[in-house]
Amino acid sequence: MSGTQVSSQKDEVALIARIREGDESAMADVYDRHSGIVYAVALRVLGNTSAAEDVVQEVFLQLWRNPQAFNADRGRLAPWLAVIARNRAIDLLRKRPMEEDIAELPISTGVNLEDQAAARIAVSKVRGVLAQLPQDQRRLLEMAFFEGMTHTEIAGKTGEPLGTVKTRIRSGLLALRKAFT
Amino acid sequence: MKDHTEYADSLALYAMDALDNERERAELRQHLGSCGECRRELEALRSDVALLALSAAGPQPPQRSRERLMQAIAAEPHHVHKVKTRFVLGRLQPHWLRVAPTVVTVLVLIACVALVRENLRLRTTRDRLAHELMQQNSEFALAHEVMQMMQDPSLPRMTLVSAKTAPQPQIKTIYQPRKGHVLLMANNLPQLPDDKVYELWLMPSSGAAPMPAGTFSPDQKGSVLMLHAMEDGAVEAKAFAVTIEPRGGSRAPTMPIQFAPAG
Repeated sequence: MSGTQVSSQKDEVALIARIREGDESAMADVYDRHSGIVYAVALRVLGNTSAAEDVVQEVFLQLWRNPQAFNADRGRLAPWLAVIARNRAIDLLRKRPMEEDIAELPISTGVNLEDQAAARIAVSKVRGVLAQLPQDQRRLLEMAFFEGMTHTEIAGKTGEPLGTVKTRIRSGLLALRKAFT
Repeated sequence: MKDHTEYADSLALYAMDALDNERERAELRQHLGSCGECRRELEALRSDVALLALSAAGPQPPQRSRERLMQAIAAEPHHVHKVKTRFVLGRLQPHWLRVAPTVVTVLVLIACVALVRENLRLRTTRDRLAHELMQQNSEFALAHEVMQMMQDPSLPRMTLVSAKTAPQPQIKTIYQPRKGHVLLMANNLPQLPDDKVYELWLMPSSGAAPMPAGTFSPDQKGSVLMLHAMEDGAVEAKAFAVTIEPRGGSRAPTMPIQFAPAG
């Protein structure tokens, strides 16, 4: 890990500003800090290391080309990159054409993954909450998020009514929120 | 119309891009456009979804992935990124956009007041012009009637004078100094030899030399009606006088004054 890497939101803003100026070392810092979660999410969705590497390339290259897509005032870079990676991977999984530009997603979570200890705690907490959920409810979340299935597909596969699928997915997400507030 | 709380479950699916009913999506998007509470909830749900991503943490990309990225970046043309403004549903809008409806409303009201005032002003102007036009039409009709009667030689004409006095030659002038137009009306003028004409002279207020103001000859009854425009346009006149000049007129009086202002 680079000694120049920083954990504060203020320094994250400065990193993005350097990337805007074309500073390659700033991009290297961002990669070193966040490539782990980006790769892990892509691998979880695609189940293929080569394809996951392609997603990593795609996500970071797009950040290099369009750093202003990330709004540091609205949240942290790590969760934002993780969701971008998930969306890219789902596009690949479903053979949907990728958008040329990374989307601006307002993700305001303040969870800090740059500090390794804090990241371990956060990951452990998320896994703990998911473990507490009934297995079938956890499965619904996984199908929606990691497999990119729509609620109609999920209802068809599980045999659960559409309304139930909706409600259980929402309550699962709210359980995660509660653990971090 | 659904209450926004009824969209809560759909919002969670929307945040995960898992809501595949196009009608529901369209309805939700429309609702999000007008419901700040639901937009905030959508943002919160997206953050919850991001937490879900953390559960995948663990595997690390191979070192070659970093090298590949840095090579790709180095190959990209260097450019300074310009900040561009994009608006995304659920995102805080710029301040100016939030106050825009109020500003637009105020501007529209100001424009409406200005239009009403302009409308009233135009109506007043229209009424005044219509009144002036009516007056001018009336005056024009009178002037037209006067001119027709004076120009028609078939109409009986009489000049009434004292019963004890023989008819006297008489010339009347009306002068419009703003336009330099002079109207001459004469009665009982003696006939002149063929090589002679009467010539009217304008005596300028400035004391300058008399200026020719038209030549004329009386008809068989000794009457004249002449409208003459001064060559130099508007000239202030002190008086008018008439001389007898050679046919064709003169540039300056060559003969004694035959007619001068009374008194």
